[in-house]
Amino acid sequence: MFSRVLIANRGEIALRIIRACRDLGIESIAVYSEADADAPYLKHADRSVCIGPAPASESYLNIPRIISAAEVTNADAIHPGYGFLAENAHFAEVCRDCRIEFIGPSPEAMGALGDKISCKKLARQAKVPTFPGSEDAIEEEAKAIEVAKKIGYPVIVKASAGGGGRGMRVAHNEAALRAGLKQARQEAQAAFGNGAVYIEKFLEKARHVEVQVIGDKHGNAIHLYERDCSTQRRHQKLIEETPAPGVDPKKRDEVCKSAARLIKNAEYSGAATVEFLMDEKQNFYLLEVNTRVQVEHPVTEMITGVDIVKTGIRVAAGEPLPYRQRDIKIDGHAIECRINAENWEKGFTPSAGRIERFEPPGGPGVRMDTHVITGYRVPPTYDSMIAKLIVHAPDRKQCIARTRRALSEFVVEPIHTTIGLHRELMQNPAFMEGGVDIHFLERLLKKNG
Amino acid sequence: MIDIRKLKELVKLMVENDLSELDLRDEAETVVVKRTLAGQYQYAPAPGGHPMQMPGGHAPAYSPGAAAAGGGDSEADDDASLHAIVSPMVGTFYTAPDPESPAYVKVGSEVDADSVVCIVEAMKVFSEIKAECSGTIEKLLVKNGDAVEYGQKLFLVRLR
Repeated sequence: MFSRVLIANRGEIALRIIRACRDLGIESIAVYSEADADAPYLKHADRSVCIGPAPASESYLNIPRIISAAEVTNADAIHPGYGFLAENAHFAEVCRDCRIEFIGPSPEAMGALGDKISCKKLARQAKVPTFPGSEDAIEEEAKAIEVAKKIGYPVIVKASAGGGGRGMRVAHNEAALRAGLKQARQEAQAAFGNGAVYIEKFLEKARHVEVQVIGDKHGNAIHLYERDCSTQRRHQKLIEETPAPGVDPKKRDEVCKSAARLIKNAEYSGAATVEFLMDEKQNFYLLEVNTRVQVEHPVTEMITGVDIVKTGIRVAAGEPLPYRQRDIKIDGHAIECRINAENWEKGFTPSAGRIERFEPPGGPGVRMDTHVITGYRVPPTYDSMIAKLIVHAPDRKQCIARTRRALSEFVVEPIHTTIGLHRELMQNPAFMEGGVDIHFLERLLKKNG
Repeated sequence: MIDIRKLKELVKLMVENDLSELDLRDEAETVVVKRTLAGQYQYAPAPGGHPMQMPGGHAPAYSPGAAAAGGGDSEADDDASLHAIVSPMVGTFYTAPDPESPAYVKVGSEVDADSVVCIVEAMKVFSEIKAECSGTIEKLLVKNGDAVEYGQKLFLVRLR
């Protein structure tokens, strides 16, 4: 087991990892930029090291500074959290070259599953359901037209190196496809330095259902069931829940097992999420694989009882997975609300500043993952998520009622947050019924003006 | 007789590998070549090439945040009026260019903008830190071999 782990991240996930280290008796080293110098969670780490000024490129994204901090503190492993360098295969390589363990997959496994085209190939081999579409990157327009004719419009052009909704264009006909190919390529080249694109069938009405998986360095891989993350705005998730409402148990088992097969075949160790779109007939289609621990991992922890971050550290240290697939059971229902420092009623404009009043909810089945305390100053430099409210209950109906209750206790002032929006959603008939699609929230927001 | 061809080869080697200093010794001769990179100290690229330019010894124009162990806080009122030379990077602090040489500066030393006051080593690259001010070294806040963080105060200087 590691003696010392450096956490190359900030905010709530840094605190989450510090807690897992402390539970495991591992010394934790937090790094911080000058913008986070007064962050309250730093004191929970055994040591904290300032690595640079506020801009992420000079701090949390800066590989030499992070490695340097690991060396001077004698860290034997680095946990990248999510975002920042978590899915940077080059960083994983540098760690390996410097003989510091990267808590996550090998650079090879990360690269194989992180690249969408190669991932799709591996998925087909593992009998993971994928979108009908092009096998490889599209080189010529003529090939694109041919594929689109075969699978039928609408289609979507996607960047192989892309993510977060960028480098994508939907096309309902040939003319749109020709234009979309050019635009997607350009955008992908500019944003990711890689203009390779491919084509897939586009689903008009779909739900985002993802499977949590975890593998070890001994060839074992299991799934921890799925999460429904359809309540999104601009490709950013706002609410996640598990299990996905109304999904046929056999189909659930099948898709979850296929996800575990995929990472096992890729010799992947650590936590990963295999993301799917699900159509109205409950057919699943692979979107992509996220080769890291995810923001919404707590809902899965609540229903399975598995500490995903702790398990990730243990497998990185070479331990075999302490669970077999048959040990994993679903217990009840869990919902997570992402609380962002944004004014949701005025276009979700960011609301930075000092939090004068912070009163988090509590009680049975209520979990708060947050680095925020009263007096905390939300820096304008990073993403706007300030807390995750996670609620667990014996079934979905009780879970929604409990979430409503918890949200009513939750006070964050004077900055604006999305708490108000979550309160509305917990009373929204479509959400309460369950099974909303990925455009539900945007339709709702448009309607309310 | 200085072998110009050999020197040219060495310089080419240094440029290709982005080295700032080369020190070659054998029984017959010693060759030391230093390369000043237009007033800046170049941080050697990490494996895979992530070059990072950093101004050598540039004291940032803000007060750094929490300073780590090594004493960044002012004890006496006197300290508050002194100028601090801070570390521009995370690394290990050394007072001298190598264990055999004397320290660059000590309490009482006079410095000016270009005076090298110490070395901070990170990932096997040794960066010379300059004073970037004119005055007298009043206090040394860290020890030889200490780990230092970005923005940590290293010296207090009484400005001229």
